[in-house]
Amino acid sequence: MFKNEICTRNNVQVLGSGEQTIMLAHGFGCDQRMWRFLSKNLVNDYKLVLFDYVGSGKSDLSQFDKARYSTLDGYAGDIIEICESLALYEVIFIGHSVSSMIGVLASLEKPKLFKQLIMVCPSPCFLNDPPDYMGGFEPEDLEELIKLMDKNYIGWANYLAPLVMGTQNDANLIDELTESFCTTDPSTAKTFAKATFFSDYRQQLQKVRHPTLILQSAEDSLASVDIGKYMHKSIPSSDLEIFQAKGHCLHMTHPDLITPHILNYVR
Amino acid sequence: MSDSRESELPELTISPDLFLSGALVTDKNRTIIYANSYFEDQLNWPLSDLVGMSSDDLFTRSSKIFNESYLMPILIHEGSCKEIQLAVLDGTGARVPIVVNARVDDSGLVYWSFFNATKRDKLYDELLAAREKLELYSEELKAISSTDELTGLFNRRELNARASQMYLAANRTNSVLSCLLIDVDFFKKVNDVHGHKEGDRVLKELGAVLKKVARQTDLAARFGGEEFVLLLPDTPTPDALILCERLQHEITLILVSDRSITVSIGVSDSKMAKGTDELFVQADKALYEAKNQGRNRTIIYHPALK
Repeated sequence: MFKNEICTRNNVQVLGSGEQTIMLAHGFGCDQRMWRFLSKNLVNDYKLVLFDYVGSGKSDLSQFDKARYSTLDGYAGDIIEICESLALYEVIFIGHSVSSMIGVLASLEKPKLFKQLIMVCPSPCFLNDPPDYMGGFEPEDLEELIKLMDKNYIGWANYLAPLVMGTQNDANLIDELTESFCTTDPSTAKTFAKATFFSDYRQQLQKVRHPTLILQSAEDSLASVDIGKYMHKSIPSSDLEIFQAKGHCLHMTHPDLITPHILNYVR
Repeated sequence: MSDSRESELPELTISPDLFLSGALVTDKNRTIIYANSYFEDQLNWPLSDLVGMSSDDLFTRSSKIFNESYLMPILIHEGSCKEIQLAVLDGTGARVPIVVNARVDDSGLVYWSFFNATKRDKLYDELLAAREKLELYSEELKAISSTDELTGLFNRRELNARASQMYLAANRTNSVLSCLLIDVDFFKKVNDVHGHKEGDRVLKELGAVLKKVARQTDLAARFGGEEFVLLLPDTPTPDALILCERLQHEITLILVSDRSITVSIGVSDSKMAKGTDELFVQADKALYEAKNQGRNRTIIYHPALK
């Protein structure tokens, strides 16, 4: 695929004009717009690359290949292809939640594309594996999550939208239906959910060669402090910062608290 | 004006406790600072326990993931969220389905309203089960409607649908799609002398040979009667002929009272045809020529053929 095809496919947005590039990768559930609280603190000094994974946000849904996106490697492929099509290398990669692991996979595949990894509320495995590892969830919790996604309106199923709109499928109208924040095609979202929550990438952590900063919430029901410590212990050259904060979205709830730590690390 | 209106209204003492829905207020740290008596009356939470607790602890584990992935980001981004179906744990630890609306004010306080959704949840479970069943049925029906019952190959309808896609793909990638039209020689004789049962056996075995010879990306279909089609993507004529030879050989292993059956094959390619209709017509002309030349052979279409 050509550069502009990748950029359209992943709805790539480039902001700022600094010499150093920072790539911001959203997690499961939403899209690149969740970075707006943090990006305003970085845009004056850095070139920021934002994007939506295929199947999320305003990506090109027609490019969604279920086999490719059923494991995190497919999403890592998106990152590599974006970097290569924009001729980026030595990028500072900031990933939220599952994107931290997607960044790890991409960095193992193409080390030269990356300079540092910054992880916001990461977890290498959401499943419990007692007695040594407690990811926080049992398989039945994750099955129920998939059911919850079915019971909530998270967007039009792509194959339904034209039916609902009538036979004349006005592309603009369908776009509008999927416009609001976090809405996406439920079938692609479920594929992402399964790839995220049923995976186990703990074995990859020790292979990481890039300097890594882990930003963790003191109280996060998806990624406990113990998971942050586990990651810090497993990734050879890593730093761990634990913030007195609640929730799984530090970059949205506490952007000004984490910004100095990010700037300090990347400078 | 508004003053005089207000004075006309009867004086009411309205308490949030009168509503048959849960009202909850949490602070920036997600600590519950207010709950109406619905939580005590309907959800078995003593209010004294609830106030001071984290709102996170109300939800089931799957709902926590949903909250962090959807509800909270929407709430932060848009200031409110509506009609989110989740499940909470009541004071005894039992799971209760609920629908949640929430909004956040400038100071960061979140106002939650909870509605019991037990019946709606059952309805959704039924709908999901029905949808799953339908998807399964439609898959089965699709398989049935696209397959030829006797040979298990694709039928003509499915062939037509897939052939146009394969033709377009060949044009797009500038590669050759080869088309083989295969007809059993003297098949009518088999039926007349040995009966339809024997005829069916021959067709069935021929179907099996086609499946065996076809590569993963090839498409094998029953065109009708004793005619079969093989579509070979990205296969120029010389390569198609190698496959024809193999096919002819494998088919000699099908015996009717100790005699091998044979087939005639007409070959056409997508570069010569304007569409799939023409592709089939050209293969048919080549097949006709193969029959004319004495059967048991392969003929490649060329424009001089009538």
